[in-house]
Amino acid sequence: MKKSSFFPQGTLPKLLLCIIFVAFVFFPFAQMVLKITPDDISSVFNSRSFMPALTTSLKCTLTTTAISVTLGIILAFCVNRTNIPLKGLFSVLLVLPMLIPSISHSTGLIVLFGTNGILRSVLGMTETIYGFWGIVIGSVLYSYPVAFLMFSDALKYEDGSPYEAAEVLGIPAGKRFFAITLPYLKKPLISAIFSVFTMVITDYGIPLKIGGQHTTLATLMYQEVIGQFHFGQGSVIGLLLLVPAVVTFVFNLISKKQSKMGYVTSPMNIKKKPLRDVVSFGFCTVVLGCLVLLLGAFALVAFTVKYPSNLSFTFDNLVRMFNTGGDRALQNSLIISVIVAFIGSFTAFVTAYFTSRMPSRLSNVLHLFSITSLAIPGIVLGLSYSMTFSGSFIYGTLAILILANLMHFFASPYQMMYNSLAGMNQNLEHVGLTLGINRFRIVRDVILPQSKATLIEMFSYFFVNSMMTISAVSFLANARTKPISLIIEQFNAQGNYEIAAVIAIIILFANISVKAIVAIVTGAIRKRSVKVFVKEE
Amino acid sequence: MMNNTPKTLLEIRNLSHNFDNKKALDNVSFDVMEGEFLAILGPSGCGKTTILRTLIGLLNTDEGTITMDGRDITKAPASQRNMGIVFQNYALFENMTVLQNVQYALKINKATRQGSEEVAMKMLESMGLAEHAKKKPCMLSGGQQQRVAIARTLVLRPRVILFDEPMSALDVETRLSLRAELKRIQKEFGTTMIYITHDQEEAFAMADRIMVMDEAKLIQIDAPMDIIEHPANGYVQRFVLDNLQIKVDSLVKYIKV
Repeated sequence: MKKSSFFPQGTLPKLLLCIIFVAFVFFPFAQMVLKITPDDISSVFNSRSFMPALTTSLKCTLTTTAISVTLGIILAFCVNRTNIPLKGLFSVLLVLPMLIPSISHSTGLIVLFGTNGILRSVLGMTETIYGFWGIVIGSVLYSYPVAFLMFSDALKYEDGSPYEAAEVLGIPAGKRFFAITLPYLKKPLISAIFSVFTMVITDYGIPLKIGGQHTTLATLMYQEVIGQFHFGQGSVIGLLLLVPAVVTFVFNLISKKQSKMGYVTSPMNIKKKPLRDVVSFGFCTVVLGCLVLLLGAFALVAFTVKYPSNLSFTFDNLVRMFNTGGDRALQNSLIISVIVAFIGSFTAFVTAYFTSRMPSRLSNVLHLFSITSLAIPGIVLGLSYSMTFSGSFIYGTLAILILANLMHFFASPYQMMYNSLAGMNQNLEHVGLTLGINRFRIVRDVILPQSKATLIEMFSYFFVNSMMTISAVSFLANARTKPISLIIEQFNAQGNYEIAAVIAIIILFANISVKAIVAIVTGAIRKRSVKVFVKEE
Repeated sequence: MMNNTPKTLLEIRNLSHNFDNKKALDNVSFDVMEGEFLAILGPSGCGKTTILRTLIGLLNTDEGTITMDGRDITKAPASQRNMGIVFQNYALFENMTVLQNVQYALKINKATRQGSEEVAMKMLESMGLAEHAKKKPCMLSGGQQQRVAIARTLVLRPRVILFDEPMSALDVETRLSLRAELKRIQKEFGTTMIYITHDQEEAFAMADRIMVMDEAKLIQIDAPMDIIEHPANGYVQRFVLDNLQIKVDSLVKYIKV
């Protein structure tokens, strides 16, 4: 077939990007798989710890998924379909747990309900949190915000007109829910279930300490690799953890292809129902109260001399944290996160530009490559990196941590930019060409300025996630390159919860700061366009 | 308006184009006269947009030649063809003001940079857009945005402006006023216009000549009256004339109401 366009298709850069994904996602993964021996497989399946770990993982993850998804859907309804006050505040505060490492949730719960737990002694509880319920509660805190956000998104963009039609037809409210809302939420529901399941079963941070005697697949994998250098056996477990991630990925891929862009012809009309609002407000407040309790526990432990014996205020723990390697770890984290945010945003923009605005067969391949990282859990990516790059010059440097984070977190920001660019007028470059303005200038002068808000959002995504990740980096960092999220574990293990709490607060503080700056800047961008409007009219 | 001795500006010979082995253009030949308003009329998928994109150089020519003033431009890049294009969805630069939109192409080029703001402003004045110069495109009505798109390409003084269904997104009243506007521009600037539409009434109201297309083929190219009096075949009778009657009737009703 003849080439049907005058312009270069961007084949070379597209190919280059594809090669990067092959080299830094597929190749390491293949290395990991190929190094597995039959011995590894039999020793994993025959080991005495495997079956209990599998059942614990499944039990905990299924329970967590049920609770998190239910909680997420209820909260999403409360915030989007009622007339409660402070909706904006709730929707911001309810996702705060997303801004701290998973491992910190276990710190918080131990501080509250552990052997010397603050609340445990207040409430006179006999049991401790360690074990099944510890893992479940920690995992719920870690994962419900994801479900909440997914349902909020779905509910926000639901069209109100079917409800109006149903009301005119005299269909009762209960039936309306089952006939309209539930079918509409089916896809987000399945997607949320898969996503929560995957993120919980692949996380080792929460069960590591709070699991007590209970070992999960992820902690087993972590211990095999970190404790005993059984890379092959770690890989076998990694492949098992890959299964739910791949299922999730494939489901989302298929359901996205099928879904058509819906239009909201009339916004949802929220009726006055005082009882519903009171109950909803109460529910949101209770959930928020639990979060405050958790964050309060961090603050209490972090800034007191020695909990629970001496509760007078001090900055000693902060100082101690910095003196025991925390300064270096914080510096590492900030360097990694800033570099990942810059390189990641730039690369994701360029990639999304090629795939969304220069369509070709290669673009489709590149698009698929760009979102594949969603199918590989961080802990698996990290292990594959460690097996592929150990011994190379990059190993043991910050560079490999940066690389791992870039690949691990690439897909979501890439998709944000892809959607934004695909939504812009498809003829901008064509108009430019006929006016004698080349593609690069159109990108620089027209497309980039219109992508500012999305770029900032991408930057914040890369930064926040690099700040709190423990999964992809755990097998790659050494004492010198450890990011701050990874040293929580050693303090947790030592029972040094004051310092673990300090770190959680620092990470939370850094992430909230970035989010706040992003909100202010994007707000200013939006306001400026409004101002021009007001001035001229 | 057309001279008594019209000069041929564009010669299109044996143009063919395939998309994945499906014929989009099948051996199409025609001439475009200097200063004329040529409407290309046909249902969607008939190949009219492919002609437009091939003429301006957004699509490669599989087969055939295009010459302008006797010069072969078949392989010339879009920017070297002295043509402008106006799209249905305007494709304005949303981050720039109306003035910047019109000035941008002048500013890029060293030869036209000097005084580009005055030139652009003058163009806006002649398009009745001067008061909107400092606004962003999103603050204008659909009709105003379309006029900005026209000004943006007109400011480079192209020999030909191509219109890709420019009025499909506009309401009836705006269409009517924009029609008058286009005829005025054609007169004032002497620009040749090639106008794609699937609206029979629009084609007949504006065009000096109409080119009827169907299934990648050119069916008839003639002055409106000649088409009415001598439709080339049953397709022209059905698709063009019968529909025209219906549209004119409803428009008459609309005006009466």
